[in-house]
Amino acid sequence: MLKVENLYAGYGGAEVLNGVNLEVKQGTVVALIGANGAGKTTTMRAVSGMIKPSAGKVTLEGTEVEGYSASRIARLGLSHSPEGRKVFGPLTVEDNLLLGAYRQLPRFFGFKAKAQVELEKVYALFPRLKERRLQHAGTLSGGEQQMLAIGRALMAQPKVMLLDEPSMGLAPVIVQEVFATIRRLKEAGITLLLVEQFAKSALEVADYAYVMERGRIAVEGSPAELQKDERVLSAYLG
Amino acid sequence: MDSSVILQIIVSGALMGLVYALIAYGFQLTYATSKSLNFGQGELVMFSAFCSLTLQDWGVPYWLMVPLGLIIGAVLGLVVEHAAVRLALEQKSEGWILLTIIVGLFAFSLAENIWGRDDRPFPTPIPSDSFNVFGIDITWTEVSVAVGVLGIMGLVELFKRRTLLGKAFDAVSADRDAAELMGISATRTVMLSYGLSGMVAALAGILVSPITTVGPTMASAIILKAFSVAVVAGLNSGFGVVVVGLALGAIENLASLYLGSGWREAPGLVLLIMALALRPNGIFGKATIRKV
Amino acid sequence: MKRFLLVRGAELLALLVLAAIPLFIKNPFALGLLTLLAIYGILLIGLDVTVGYLGQVNLGQAGFLGIGAYTAGLLVANCNAGLFTSLGAAFLICLVLGALLALPALRLEGPQFALATLSFGALAVTVLNEWEDLTLGAQGLSIDRPTLFGHPLDAAWFYWLCVVLLALVWLGMKNLLSSQWGRAFEALRDSPIATDAMGVGTYRHKVIAFAFGSALGGLAGGLYAFNFQYLQPQSFTYELMVILLLGVVLGGRKNLWGAVVGAAFIVLLPNLLSNPMLFRAFSLLGFAIAAFAVIRTRSLRFQTLAPVIAMGMLVVGSFTVQHTEDWRKAIFALMLFSVVVGLPEGLMGYAGKVLSKLFRVPAAPLPEASNLDDVVPMQQVNDNVLLELRDLKRHFGGVKAVDGVNLKLTSGSVHGLLGPNGSGKSTAVNVISGLYAPTSGQMMLDGKELPYGSLYRVAGAGVARTFQNLQLFSELSAIHNVMVALRDTYKTPWPLVLFGFARKEEHKAKADALALLKLVGLEDQARTKAKDLTYGAQRFLEIARALARKPRLLILDEPAAGLAHPDAHHLVEIVKRVHGRGISIVLIEHHMDVVSALCSTVTVLDGGQVIAEGTPDEVKRHPKVVAAYLGAAA
Repeated sequence: MLKVENLYAGYGGAEVLNGVNLEVKQGTVVALIGANGAGKTTTMRAVSGMIKPSAGKVTLEGTEVEGYSASRIARLGLSHSPEGRKVFGPLTVEDNLLLGAYRQLPRFFGFKAKAQVELEKVYALFPRLKERRLQHAGTLSGGEQQMLAIGRALMAQPKVMLLDEPSMGLAPVIVQEVFATIRRLKEAGITLLLVEQFAKSALEVADYAYVMERGRIAVEGSPAELQKDERVLSAYLG
Repeated sequence: MDSSVILQIIVSGALMGLVYALIAYGFQLTYATSKSLNFGQGELVMFSAFCSLTLQDWGVPYWLMVPLGLIIGAVLGLVVEHAAVRLALEQKSEGWILLTIIVGLFAFSLAENIWGRDDRPFPTPIPSDSFNVFGIDITWTEVSVAVGVLGIMGLVELFKRRTLLGKAFDAVSADRDAAELMGISATRTVMLSYGLSGMVAALAGILVSPITTVGPTMASAIILKAFSVAVVAGLNSGFGVVVVGLALGAIENLASLYLGSGWREAPGLVLLIMALALRPNGIFGKATIRKV
Repeated sequence: MKRFLLVRGAELLALLVLAAIPLFIKNPFALGLLTLLAIYGILLIGLDVTVGYLGQVNLGQAGFLGIGAYTAGLLVANCNAGLFTSLGAAFLICLVLGALLALPALRLEGPQFALATLSFGALAVTVLNEWEDLTLGAQGLSIDRPTLFGHPLDAAWFYWLCVVLLALVWLGMKNLLSSQWGRAFEALRDSPIATDAMGVGTYRHKVIAFAFGSALGGLAGGLYAFNFQYLQPQSFTYELMVILLLGVVLGGRKNLWGAVVGAAFIVLLPNLLSNPMLFRAFSLLGFAIAAFAVIRTRSLRFQTLAPVIAMGMLVVGSFTVQHTEDWRKAIFALMLFSVVVGLPEGLMGYAGKVLSKLFRVPAAPLPEASNLDDVVPMQQVNDNVLLELRDLKRHFGGVKAVDGVNLKLTSGSVHGLLGPNGSGKSTAVNVISGLYAPTSGQMMLDGKELPYGSLYRVAGAGVARTFQNLQLFSELSAIHNVMVALRDTYKTPWPLVLFGFARKEEHKAKADALALLKLVGLEDQARTKAKDLTYGAQRFLEIARALARKPRLLILDEPAAGLAHPDAHHLVEIVKRVHGRGISIVLIEHHMDVVSALCSTVTVLDGGQVIAEGTPDEVKRHPKVVAAYLGAAA
């Protein structure tokens, strides 16, 4: 579904990605783990179009999308829930969700009716969001904002979803909720690329995993293999 | 001085102030999505007013001319976006300040040569007589200004809140990157905002032309006041511009009465500088958080 | 010697040529043009201070020209003031007005600043027009040219006066710009945040720059008044302002030669337009240049295409239009558009690039590096608590980034601050350094309350920092980056700087900065522009720059981020050397090996709160820390 080949990208002077190769097969959850600064978020951004790769290929369901603008890649069926969540603060929870489905809804009127089914699905997944439908997103807590970001990404029924550091800045209890949600999505058959700094939780939910170090993939394999790999453990706690 | 005269002056001034508010509203629309605005907006008002005048000269009835004029305004707005703003936004620079000034200057010269430098009357079916409300004379023209301004602002606000495209507009203002990730093209949204801003400016021109007559310099005075209103009210708040516009219009008339007509311009300018000194983000605006 | 000849030689030559002209050319018209050239030269140099060096669109300079003109003119007409008195008054009044305008206007960037100056310009004209009792308003004011020590100023003598003043302004600006002032202006343009954090008040420098530029406008105004000997408020309107901008942009921003070339252009412009042959030749030339650029770069992007279209329109206009006067504004607009889009660095900017490729001007030699002990003196180390945070909180709306952090840093230690992304480390450090004000809680430095909410004041209190996302002054060289931050080094008051009395100070500053570059291993790259350094070198440069502050507390925010192994190694060495001088350090880092090698104490944050504290080894094995970093079991 999603293939990344020999990807190079960076910001200004620094080249952060030095030839990243990974693949996300349909219906699987793939984890991308690694120490901070390894380039995980940069990989996500280069894939979704937030930054333009300097070299390499990104293929989405057969179409080469590297170099396309972010909105174009999104319209091709890729949903990216970015690091830091980036919800639309001044808009209501419900508006945030509706905008998630932007690419499939009528632009002027009638969008609410058309989005109803997906909206209800998201509310079923996150009842707390339903409670706060008319609240401004900026006033939600960190955990609620993360739920909203995930829900927003789901609204467009994406072919591939990118979830970037969903646990960042959240209390451990909330983090558990987030991963429970991911598990439920997995059961529903989602195709997901998950970037996480919490290697243990990520490995528990993934079908396959890549470990990044200094801008390239250092190790890859099934979670069972990686959990026994000493290199993985040492990459985190020195 | 007789209090009813003062009240009269205040009310008349306030209603004219709505025109400033409308143009300021146009600034807010483009600033919201792109942190930019058209420094040549006065020339856009003037140019579209001339086009509307020409339409009428060609025999187009007023009630058809108005929507056509609005479309022309929107097109002019798009021209400004493409020629003067897009490049600067791509380069993440503020070059659009200078470029919109330049485009405005060009439009001014073009208008001078196409239509001449003299002021021309703007025919309108709206009667110029007045009626009396609570001891104050209000002309039908002033009523049309109020209706036009509040009407179009209401329509645009409705668009922003009720249509998905309108919500996308707010999304781009709130977080451009996140909006792009939803499949919302930020570039197209900026284009839309400039189109709307042009349309709104064209309406301001149509409303105010019967009073000021149409000429190349018709908007140069108005535009500074519109800037003042936009900055004082804050570049984020829709409702604030109406309040500040009414206030400025009233104060200007009072200044003209007590200090002499040449000093009309002063309150707006002083207000602007003071507002920048005391409340840089405007009375109704909000500050932004920096990230390092 | 070669350098002196090339740079100073060119200037001297130009000055001599200008001075000699009246000896050969007696035509009053030509002389008048050249006088106007000198006057506009001063005006544009003043405008370039804001437009070029501060990078802001200043729409008020025409207003200052008018105010200066009327000030000088009225003093002569009503008070019989002498030449220097009236010019001096014009300078001073505009200096004061400029400062008053700058105080509110410079709190903001970009468009609001442009609006404020635009309003000021309009207000100035309105006042000049309406205050008829004083200025005679629209009727116009006639002025007699004052005498110079009793000697009447005919065309030639007045011309010389203007040229001399231009030369003095030129010299003064050169001295100013090659001093700390010039560096400060560039710095605050590249990174206002870092400028404040390095103890150089962004705001006050901007205000002074603007005031000075306005004062020059006033001086030019005085000369303008004596040149034409007749003043009208209508001369100082928006249209003039746009022409002035045209001059600055076309000539080249941030460039003294550019200002003078731009002035020449403005002065010759009306003549250019009134002669059809000349105008056609000019437009064809412009079109050819624009077309050439397209061919050379083979791109049809807006940047290359738009100037071609604009110049094309100009060519068509030059052949079809009957009265170019009527189309004056459109012609300016097309020219200015082409330059802003197609040649943003202006004529002299472009020429400068070409010339620097042809003539290698050797840079002035660098002095010997100072002794490091003089630059960063060894600090007293005791067991006191240097930095204390008490229940520090910082919330952003619903997000509690820092939520009750307590921390004690012992003087002379390296204290690590760890935690997963989003745990609040950077926010905490941003609060300490003054980027954000705390929502609640206290911060004490050496027993005294630390100023909050102002990078500048915290820098003044003895705290220096580096940034997670580099905030270097990218257009400045490495050595200049460090020189900007040097503490207690620049004591010469600015009037003396103008006259060139800051040389000794500069020399010492260079030597001190070099010592710091040596400390981090960058002495060989002192002259390289910060943006051209390798990533690792950039990280080290930020540290050297922070040390220039002679801080008691140094905050390093992820200094090893993105560093390859050898560079990370070098970083550890540098930090050890800094630590060896007794400077207390707060170190945010993810690389555990860096932390273990350097820190005596580590505080770990998670979700905005402290979850563990101790030595690196203790903390590594702490169950909460392991859980936070690796993720708790579901």
